[in-house]
Amino acid sequence: MFCARCGSKLPEGARFCGACGGMVAPSAPAPPAYAPPPAYAPPPTYAAPPPVARSAPPAYAPPPPAAPPQRAARCSWCGSLLDAAATSCPGCGGNVSEMAVSTRSGWLQLPGRKDMAKLQFGQSTCQIEGLYVPVADFKLAPGDSVYFAHHALLWKDTALAIATMPLKGAWKRMFAGMPLIMTQAAGPGHIAFSRDLPGELIAVPIHPGQAVDVREHLFLTATGNVVYDWFQTGVWFRTKSGDETATHYPVGMFMDRFSSTGQPGLLLLHAGGNVFVRTLAPGETMLVKPTALIFKDPVVQMHLHFERPQTAFMSWGSWGNRYLWLRVVGPGRVAVQSAFEHLHGEALSMQGHSYATEMRW
Amino acid sequence: MSTPIAEPFERLQCQWCQSLNEKSALACRSCGAPLDVRNLVSESGWREAPRIRDMTEIHFSNSTCQVEGEIVPVAEINLSPGDAIFFEHHVMLWKDESVPLTLMALSGGFKRAFAGMPFLISVASGPGRIAFSRDSTGELVVLPLHPGMEVDVREHAFLLSSHQIQYSFVRIKGLANVLFGGQGMYMDRFVTAGSPGLLILHGYGNVFERVLRPGESIMLEPGAFLYKDSTVTMDVEFQKLGTGLFGGTRMSLARMTGPGRVGIQSMYVHHKTE
Repeated sequence: MFCARCGSKLPEGARFCGACGGMVAPSAPAPPAYAPPPAYAPPPTYAAPPPVARSAPPAYAPPPPAAPPQRAARCSWCGSLLDAAATSCPGCGGNVSEMAVSTRSGWLQLPGRKDMAKLQFGQSTCQIEGLYVPVADFKLAPGDSVYFAHHALLWKDTALAIATMPLKGAWKRMFAGMPLIMTQAAGPGHIAFSRDLPGELIAVPIHPGQAVDVREHLFLTATGNVVYDWFQTGVWFRTKSGDETATHYPVGMFMDRFSSTGQPGLLLLHAGGNVFVRTLAPGETMLVKPTALIFKDPVVQMHLHFERPQTAFMSWGSWGNRYLWLRVVGPGRVAVQSAFEHLHGEALSMQGHSYATEMRW
Repeated sequence: MSTPIAEPFERLQCQWCQSLNEKSALACRSCGAPLDVRNLVSESGWREAPRIRDMTEIHFSNSTCQVEGEIVPVAEINLSPGDAIFFEHHVMLWKDESVPLTLMALSGGFKRAFAGMPFLISVASGPGRIAFSRDSTGELVVLPLHPGMEVDVREHAFLLSSHQIQYSFVRIKGLANVLFGGQGMYMDRFVTAGSPGLLILHGYGNVFERVLRPGESIMLEPGAFLYKDSTVTMDVEFQKLGTGLFGGTRMSLARMTGPGRVGIQSMYVHHKTE
């Protein structure tokens, strides 16, 4: 027996759905994906379907195409289908009982995650351990693989082979003075990743046809079926201090772009502090601290924005009277972290900059 | 003997800020402290600052502040028309484009610098939304200030303050070069005049408070000092750590002397100066 509203499996004879609270119509039809038993099925017929249901991959299985009008329970964060019995979402590890909370102004907070929550992809699993600096602990099945930036590796099985991934032009990109190298690990075996500051681990499922742009150095790991690419942000400003000129990139010189190959994939990011996401309507704008940006949909446009506070006493040269923002323009998702890094060069005299809007109060 | 008369409305007093709340309230309206959690006081007498629950709303004037997140909490302000708040601009996380910004005129702000920039205080006026956070793990400490109160706060530790509060700063003598590479150390001073106001601090790590009796003192690591009532005096003392024949090293400690409140943070974060 299934809930007509959300599709959750219900005990026989239930009057209310435990998952959505909906009242169960006396003749609630079972989803067509399962051989529909008659309303008052004799016990043997009823006992048969469950094993079939369990063996189906719960995370990224496309919704059963046979039942378009039926709405199944979905995770409020990542949209994965939820099994009525699950306590955490198999797609992102979010706590099912505590759905994503939205702030008064409409930012969605990352849903809480129970320690040791497990995600699934392909035949592999990833367990998220710890709450301050969470660890992503992968159990890779044969044939499944993940890739990662080498500095995020926490530990691995001795037998698990890792190899560098060929990247075009990677020598141009440096991380802490070292060239950025993507490293790949293929199953079977265990491998775990973490970062160096307290914060949240964000599971971003990449659905077929989807892509997401991530500010550099926030990437933890992605499954092998996610395409990695990077592009120049085109957001910069040039400062002059004495004889020295410097170019600053408030959201990084490069941004990482992760897209799907046609199969669903999983991307794990680590942000400092707490994480908030909002979906901007077409044309809707928001001023965000540049170093607080985590990711955005590729359709979201971004550029510099200078804000000059009104001051009665004087104009203080080029530094003091302007603040530097990243202006993001919808439509699309944008995510921010609450622990931002310091913005370098903001205090110096500016010589030039990429496209920017300005507000003088 | 008089029999106590039942009040028509029973009120719950917040143990943190002493405001009165409706009996059904779960968190204090003025400071966000949970009302169903007892005070946590250590055996040595430090009281833990209340852990504000995620998404708690705090009311001040006609505006609200929502506290979001528990690792690096965000203070999201919904300003109503006529209300304003002031802050150091580098703590702004995001804002509506339509919220006007002005600069507060400060005397001596040139001498004081932060990250190479002259020290500026910005003012945002309602209506509109603006959110603030800091760069590291910690908690928000909400101090509703009643008329006549004076509080001194470690520099760069205040996140925002409502416009009813008057702002100034004082230099701590004797701490030059010890902490911030030559600039010395300042304290921000917040004074309420006629009407109550709201002051929100960000403490790194966990925050603890104790009330010193008149004349009672305690020695603090200067980097741990977060706030104090202006009645508490702070004197920097140097302690020689001898290692026998070869001189040894000096360490500075702050002697805090009552009466009044002293607040400390458990994580000392070195402030980088660019």
